[in-house]
Amino acid sequence: MAVLQVKNLVKKFRSFTAVDNISFELKEGEVLGLLGPNGAGKTTTIQMLLGTITPTQGTINYFEKDFSKHQQESLQLINYSSAFNSLQGRITVWENLLVFALLYQVEDPKAKIEKLTKYFEVYELLESQYKDLSSGQQTRINIVKSLLNAPKILLMDEPTASLDPDISDKLLTFIEEIKSKHNLAILYTSHNMKEVTRICDRVIFMDKGNIVAQDTPEALIKKLGKTNLEHVFLEIVRGK
Amino acid sequence: MSIKRIKAILLLDFFISKQSLEIIFDVFIFPIFTNIIVFGFFTLYLTRNNFGYDPTSILIGMIYWQPIFVISYSIGVGSLWNIWAKNLTNIFISPISTNEYLIAYSFSGLFKGLLILILGYIVSFFIFKINVFSIGLFSSLLYFINVSIFGLSFGIFCLGLVFRFGTRIQALSWGLIFILQPIMAVIYPVSILPKPFQFVAYLFPPTYVFEAIRNNLSGVPDTSLFIVKAFLLNILWFIFSIYFFRMMLKKSKEIGQFSKLEI
Repeated sequence: MAVLQVKNLVKKFRSFTAVDNISFELKEGEVLGLLGPNGAGKTTTIQMLLGTITPTQGTINYFEKDFSKHQQESLQLINYSSAFNSLQGRITVWENLLVFALLYQVEDPKAKIEKLTKYFEVYELLESQYKDLSSGQQTRINIVKSLLNAPKILLMDEPTASLDPDISDKLLTFIEEIKSKHNLAILYTSHNMKEVTRICDRVIFMDKGNIVAQDTPEALIKKLGKTNLEHVFLEIVRGK
Repeated sequence: MSIKRIKAILLLDFFISKQSLEIIFDVFIFPIFTNIIVFGFFTLYLTRNNFGYDPTSILIGMIYWQPIFVISYSIGVGSLWNIWAKNLTNIFISPISTNEYLIAYSFSGLFKGLLILILGYIVSFFIFKINVFSIGLFSSLLYFINVSIFGLSFGIFCLGLVFRFGTRIQALSWGLIFILQPIMAVIYPVSILPKPFQFVAYLFPPTYVFEAIRNNLSGVPDTSLFIVKAFLLNILWFIFSIYFFRMMLKKSKEIGQFSKLEI
């Protein structure tokens, strides 16, 4: 079952077309990699999926409901984690997470926050001010925030960008676990092709606003006669 | 409408406010010292030199000016704290509605507006021996309601501008209101203003409140016409500000400005 359907999505900023008529689906329990060079249109696509940019044309359906008409309902079921967003620096981690637990109407905020922060080994940071944390710790807190509402779909924009290999591996393991246990669907962007190969069931390559290739990582590697996804990336980007 | 989500934003605002000396200074300390105390002494000076005019309206006018500034500041700068922290996207991709967001910041602003008014009363009474309630308890309440609604409308209007044009115009959130202050005749009668400005002055609900206060103090107890006019104009301002904010937010999302606010 497709939990997210994107059809003929277009975004134009005056004469510049950032996203040019793309269509794709994200299935229940699937991890879909959204890849491409800088300026390919990945971020604009994610912003449209989150409702912070309005599409020029096309439709976005979450759970077969039109996102433009059921935005609040859809946003309750999804969440977002990015290495480029922050929480409030001046307040404590606990205060930040409590605010988001209430925003997502989490049943037992205290228990949920404790459980997630313990898993990501940031429980002892709950009373620290967010601004005093290292970027790796902040990223882990952002991931905790994105899991508070037990989302059905998670949009992750380079979530491991500032994590050390240990925590990065832990996050990827966690993604693999929740994906299999809870059928969580994930749209994942990263420039790290190794982790994309590891966790993505399917990848979409974007370039200049268009989808230029999509398949499983293995199939793309085979199709282009390459040894790994990084070489596929370079072939697609430089081959044009 | 979710009370929990409104509570979440109120809590966020409370957590930030208690950690931020800037907010405490901007909302409480500076208004008391630079407005209430300065104009309190000015009022005393005028009283003692008998200029043939009851100067109490100057201090009371400044006291009722404070909620307008504090409420509009709270709404605008409250959101700016989220933008500066790169947290606004996180909030707006949660299921909170625009109405819930505005209601939460309005409650927060109203609370701070009421606090500054009470502080103004206290300072006025204990330092300058001027009882603000001499204008009448019920009138005091009506004046507060009217200046508060305008503060809300103006704060929402400014927030719409920031969402649409970005942080390059963020200073309007705390500064634009001061450009209007001379026109709203806070401490002097509207009749002092040049004719064209008088017309503009009467487009703003607080002008009627300040005129009503002066009338009260000069022995005209019935100021109901001023209050009715202020209230009707406030309704128009409030509807306009909500409509304007929604238009600005819509446009900001269309042109991609909203997602660039935090950059």
